[in-house]
Amino acid sequence: MSRTLRRRSTIAASLALVASLALSACGGSDSGSSAVPPSAGGGGDDALQEVYDNAPVAEAAALLSDSTMAAIRERGVLRVAAALDAPLLSQQDPSNPDDIQGFDIDLAKMLAIYIIGEPNIEVVPPASETREALLTNGTVDVVFNTYTITEERAEQISFAGPYFVSGLAVAVAADNEDIAGIDDLGGRTVIVGANTPAVTAVPEQQPTAEVVSFATDPQCVQALTQGRGDAYVQDYTLLAADAESNDGIKVVGQPFTEEAYGIGLPPNDPDFKDFVNDWLEQIYADGSWAAVFDATLGTVGDGSTPEPPAIGSVPGS
Amino acid sequence: MRQPETAHLYDEPGPRGRRRIRIASVVSVLVFAGVVALMLRQFASRGQLDADRWTPFLSWPIWEYLLVGLRGTLLAAAVVAVLGGALGVLLALGRLSPIRPLRWLCTGFIEVFRTLPVLLLIYLMLFGLPAYGINLPVLWKLVVPLTIANAAAFAEIVRAGVLSLPRGQTEAGYSLGMRRLQVMRAVVLPQALRAVTPSLVVQLVSLLKDTSLGYVVAFTELLYRAQVLSAYNRLLIQTFIVVTLVYLVVNGLLSALASRLRRRTTRTAAPIAPATPAQPGAPAVEAPRV
Amino acid sequence: MSALVDAWPQLLSGLGTTVFVLVTSAVGALVLGTLVTVARVSPVPVLRAAAFGYVQVLVNVPLLALLLLAVFALPDAGLIAPLVTTAIVVLTVYEAAYVAEALRSGINTVSRGQVEAARALGFTLAQTLRLVVVPQAARTVVQPLGNVLIALLMNTALTATVGVVELTSATNKVNLVQAQPIPIFGAAGLVYMALALVIGLGAGRIEKRVAIRR
Repeated sequence: MSRTLRRRSTIAASLALVASLALSACGGSDSGSSAVPPSAGGGGDDALQEVYDNAPVAEAAALLSDSTMAAIRERGVLRVAAALDAPLLSQQDPSNPDDIQGFDIDLAKMLAIYIIGEPNIEVVPPASETREALLTNGTVDVVFNTYTITEERAEQISFAGPYFVSGLAVAVAADNEDIAGIDDLGGRTVIVGANTPAVTAVPEQQPTAEVVSFATDPQCVQALTQGRGDAYVQDYTLLAADAESNDGIKVVGQPFTEEAYGIGLPPNDPDFKDFVNDWLEQIYADGSWAAVFDATLGTVGDGSTPEPPAIGSVPGS
Repeated sequence: MRQPETAHLYDEPGPRGRRRIRIASVVSVLVFAGVVALMLRQFASRGQLDADRWTPFLSWPIWEYLLVGLRGTLLAAAVVAVLGGALGVLLALGRLSPIRPLRWLCTGFIEVFRTLPVLLLIYLMLFGLPAYGINLPVLWKLVVPLTIANAAAFAEIVRAGVLSLPRGQTEAGYSLGMRRLQVMRAVVLPQALRAVTPSLVVQLVSLLKDTSLGYVVAFTELLYRAQVLSAYNRLLIQTFIVVTLVYLVVNGLLSALASRLRRRTTRTAAPIAPATPAQPGAPAVEAPRV
Repeated sequence: MSALVDAWPQLLSGLGTTVFVLVTSAVGALVLGTLVTVARVSPVPVLRAAAFGYVQVLVNVPLLALLLLAVFALPDAGLIAPLVTTAIVVLTVYEAAYVAEALRSGINTVSRGQVEAARALGFTLAQTLRLVVVPQAARTVVQPLGNVLIALLMNTALTATVGVVELTSATNKVNLVQAQPIPIFGAAGLVYMALALVIGLGAGRIEKRVAIRR
């Protein structure tokens, strides 16, 4: 009898333990990286610390009651869908997981400062095909993920911006001398990222190219260096950042399309969209956007700082 | 020396047999060693065995990063195990029920979800549920599809256990005046569950491995953290080998723990041996028929 | 519904890849699994230990980790092969462990009396296996093998994560464009269920064929 009792209480205890673990996870915040503490900027970017200190904060009047931004401020943290493994754009340092740096993620921190006053963000890394789902079901408030504005996507969600203009370019293995650009890709094996504009752009430009797709950018780079394809077509900034950190690949030719990045927003929320666009105007005007660019993407390439794009200039934005 | 369980297949080897076995052993060892040496040489020739590729894994921050992922894996696995197990038992009982609509419903549920790939279920819920306004926290985006798939598997295992019991057990219960559900709860289920514990453990291990699909829903678990880490430090082989070893250890411990628990709670203490005739006064539970 | 009609060729091609991968890795897994089982019951201790280790390792490691290792990590060591080939090899090696386990428990269900009678009649190991053990074990082993094959079918869907364009991956791509998840994924689910049904029915048919009528 006592053995049954003991066994029963063990089972009950373990059930209770699991239940409490699950309930604590139900509290919501265990999904991604923890919120960045206010004194963030661990990796030695004092230049950006200054930018954060001077970053604009929204007037209380701009946060209409019952609006998305008021809810975010109430919550105290901005939920962002951003990568953890994109060099110069949004990269997590595993030995210091709270420290995520890059162009996309720094802009997200500034948006958080604008709404809440502190760069409190919670990062949820999306798989490339789930960004729209994460916005429509409310898991994240915004998407900062080199998210190209397309009309198809604009049918499902809203975009603010564009906040950067880039284009698709071609990368090849560092020792490849045959391919100089998109025109040389006829009949070749071309690697593209799943659910990126390259999936449709490459067949359009080179119908005879064989297209192979992989889920994430690091996988595509890996496949290219291992010879699973002759070239990798992806957004120019991503390729430049990859080539910077990986000697095995190089970018050839110029961007052959024009892709505009936008901030992904939940659909049917014009107030939030106007709010975010206002913020973009402010950081374009006061130089913070340029400062963030110089500290991240500006470290590769020719060192010149581009002009921020005009908001709403792209169909779908 | 303990005999392997299939030793009865052949006669005790005589001197010639023993010599042949010894030769075969030596040859096998040489072959295996040769294959391993070839692989190591291949790896070394590309610099994959260099110390500086492996020493990052001696640093605590990397392990802390991976262990947080492991915690996510274990948490998801535990939740799925409890919920899926409970649901599985209910489904099994439903499938064995005399009430026909209930039986059909449960049978349909089990047969459908046993033959759908888990990845497909995850995609279906990820993209389909928001259309109905259902927004789940990230943990539950992984747990719900896994629970449904594993509940169907658990249900079949439990049902096999229930069906393997001798009919006398249920009849004895009825003859004591118990109702059907009482018989199930007090007599049949405990014995059935004990009988199928090995299969349950196998399913548990499979479930833990399924949590690696958490990357699709952006749930922080071990394999996703390994991917991020490998993208950062570009040490793909080393990272994936280390993480594979972690899974091996965790699942191995799980299986070992489960078999130890099983040995302690099974009433027949005899190890697996040729069937001996039942002694008078022996307990009602025999060693389970597999 | 029109979404399905438009995407028909893509889905069909994905299904073709799924079936191809399924059949090739099934054959490979059955062959390799049988070899491992033979090693497991052989009198040579080294072979027994190696087979035991093989099964234990593969049963406890996630297939996704193995796929990622084989597709993205091993080429760094110079071991590179076409994507589909790599996927088939990994699936074969992985499922062979489960086949070996199913075969081993099948052998164990043959009662000792049968084997001892065979030995008493002077059968060698090979004759015992061929004439006494395998016919009886086959009856109990068909159902578990059918389950292993169904699990293999489910696992072909996992290869989508490393870039193999099979049914799940094709369905996902189609859904990205059409954005109608319920009919599209539902249709793919029905296809998987149909394939599993075929495997299950085949296993049932074979089981009846090898059943020993007493």
